[in-house]
Amino acid sequence: MTEQAERLTLTPEQYVEAQNSPEFTELRRRFRRFAFPMTVVFLSWYLLYVLLSTYASDFMSTEVFGNVNLGIVLGLLQFVSTFLITTLYVRHANKNTDPIADKIRDELEGGQNA
Amino acid sequence: MSGSPYALPAIIVVTVATIGIGAYGLRFSRTTSDFLVASRSISPGWNASAISGEYLSAASFLGVAGLVMKYGADMLWYPVGFAAGYLALLLFVAAPLRRSGAFTLPDFAEARLGSRTLRRWSVFFVVVIGWLYLLPQLQGAGLTLRTLTGAPYWVGAVVVGVVVTVNVANGGMRSITFVQAFQYWLKLTAIAIPAIFALIVWQSGGFADLSGAQSPTFDEQTEVRVDTAVTVVVAESLTLSADGNVDGGDIDGPATWGAGEHQIAAGTVLVFPDGAAVPHVSGLPALSGQTWATPLGSGGASPDHPIFATYSLILATFLGTMGLPHVLVRFYTNPDGRAARRTTLIVLALLGVFYLFPTLYGALGRLYTPQLLITGQTDAVVLLLPGAAIGGLLGQLLGALVAAGAFAAFLSTASGLLVSVSGVLSTDVMGRGTVRDFRRAATVAGVVPLVVAAQIDRLDVSQVVGLAFAVAASTFCPLLVLGIWWRGLTDIGALAGVLAGGALSLSAVLITVLGGELDGWPGVLLAQPAAWTVPVAFAVMVVVSRATASRVPPNIGRTMLLLHAPESLGLGRGTPD
Repeated sequence: MTEQAERLTLTPEQYVEAQNSPEFTELRRRFRRFAFPMTVVFLSWYLLYVLLSTYASDFMSTEVFGNVNLGIVLGLLQFVSTFLITTLYVRHANKNTDPIADKIRDELEGGQNA
Repeated sequence: MSGSPYALPAIIVVTVATIGIGAYGLRFSRTTSDFLVASRSISPGWNASAISGEYLSAASFLGVAGLVMKYGADMLWYPVGFAAGYLALLLFVAAPLRRSGAFTLPDFAEARLGSRTLRRWSVFFVVVIGWLYLLPQLQGAGLTLRTLTGAPYWVGAVVVGVVVTVNVANGGMRSITFVQAFQYWLKLTAIAIPAIFALIVWQSGGFADLSGAQSPTFDEQTEVRVDTAVTVVVAESLTLSADGNVDGGDIDGPATWGAGEHQIAAGTVLVFPDGAAVPHVSGLPALSGQTWATPLGSGGASPDHPIFATYSLILATFLGTMGLPHVLVRFYTNPDGRAARRTTLIVLALLGVFYLFPTLYGALGRLYTPQLLITGQTDAVVLLLPGAAIGGLLGQLLGALVAAGAFAAFLSTASGLLVSVSGVLSTDVMGRGTVRDFRRAATVAGVVPLVVAAQIDRLDVSQVVGLAFAVAASTFCPLLVLGIWWRGLTDIGALAGVLAGGALSLSAVLITVLGGELDGWPGVLLAQPAAWTVPVAFAVMVVVSRATASRVPPNIGRTMLLLHAPESLGLGRGTPD
């Protein structure tokens, strides 16, 4: 398969070097800085909804229009928020982490060719 | 309760088309690698349609609407969780797992921790989860054919089981990708168009009240045939006519039922007058429109402890998706990380749009097919609503369309599951992963759930699916998350966690499925086990790994780099882009 031919082969030293490089550390930091807080936000929003449904049922049964109450609107918004968070993540990854990854690659390849 | 005369031909067309597309795809699949991951050469749009097509199972197509009709707005948690699980998967698991180069969950377990024992147990759980998830698909098929044609329950299960097994054994995954993508669009069309017509009917009827103070009533004289014996609760005494056996005595003619419970024997035909309140199957509370429309107004399926049950369900769906074997393997078919992210985004949009419709069916079902509350078999609401709400030739044609979509749902999800289960069986249990082994494994993987499915027709389709999610969240979720993000995980720790989570959640499943209903806390803890089994699995994994810290693999630094270095670095066994 073509995968084999394109693969970079690294010595153990190069692995360690790549792993300790500031770029790689930065890369993981940027990922974590985004993913972990976002997960907390997003789970809290879900759990909040459940609490609202239980303890603020008057609020949730406020009619918005026709037969549709606030509880249903917020429920459907959960889909929208899931989609929004994913969009944010995709943009974050394309803008903030992919360029660093390319940079690390360039350096490694430069090092190998030299 | 019978369906449209066009339903059967529509189902046959879908089934034949599925087989036809499978045969077409067959020409492309040559090597085993093609079979399993379609050579990673599928575009995000196709791939997202295929993932969604595969994911929208009987639970999504029939079950969500059924639950919404029965219990109300709380049941939106099932679809929200089904969709959100993809976000968790994308954020924490998808990219590192691809980079690990492992094709399946057992491959990952072995590559990360170097333990054959852990691998064998992973195989066991892949097969268990796959089968648990296959059951409701076959069950859905049985229910659909019985509702629409009056055929015995096992016929539908056998038809879907056999078609899918033969198709998978012959085509493998490449063909399945085309089939799945086709299925998503078919399912969306099939559920959306009748829903739009039903909405128009509802509008022309002046938007009959759904969230008012009344419980469901019949809006015309309605004949109901009871297929399986049932106990119903009547709120206020009512007069109707019955032909069959009620409360232990034969009857043929008018009857007056006092408030309280009444036993109706199988085969009894009841005719309710216009305006009568709908009796509910025993155990299902008769909700006023207002309670029904308020989230957690009724406490849903677990009225005693609704918060616990809902949190547990959220946890199971959010964390369980990553542990579903047929979902994970799909992410290998993306050429690189960027495509995988794009695919996920499209998947979420496709799922979000789809799930609007089952919700609508559940709501309108309370107006147009309230008789389903008598038997509690609300899973049939999607199938019966078009005929009941729209009526006439158009209603029958739309009913046939929905039936075709439902069959597409069973076929596509069952295919995806079968590919995963047979992939694992063929490499680990029944051979060395050759094409011939794959075919043999597919046969075994398809026949076992078929035999079981023929036995159970009592459970809600979504309930069984929820339990499969709980088992996945209690076993593979901790293994994947800790395996990818924590250096300190050891083989013994992982094994202990998987076994603890697996044993607890599986026991809960078996008791729920076989043992009937329990009240109070024990009932909730067993019916929605994820909220306690998932933390237990994580805790056991961490504590035992700490205790066996000397067994952390010596090359852990290298493995972690392999998992976390972006694809474009081209390190290790992943595919460079």
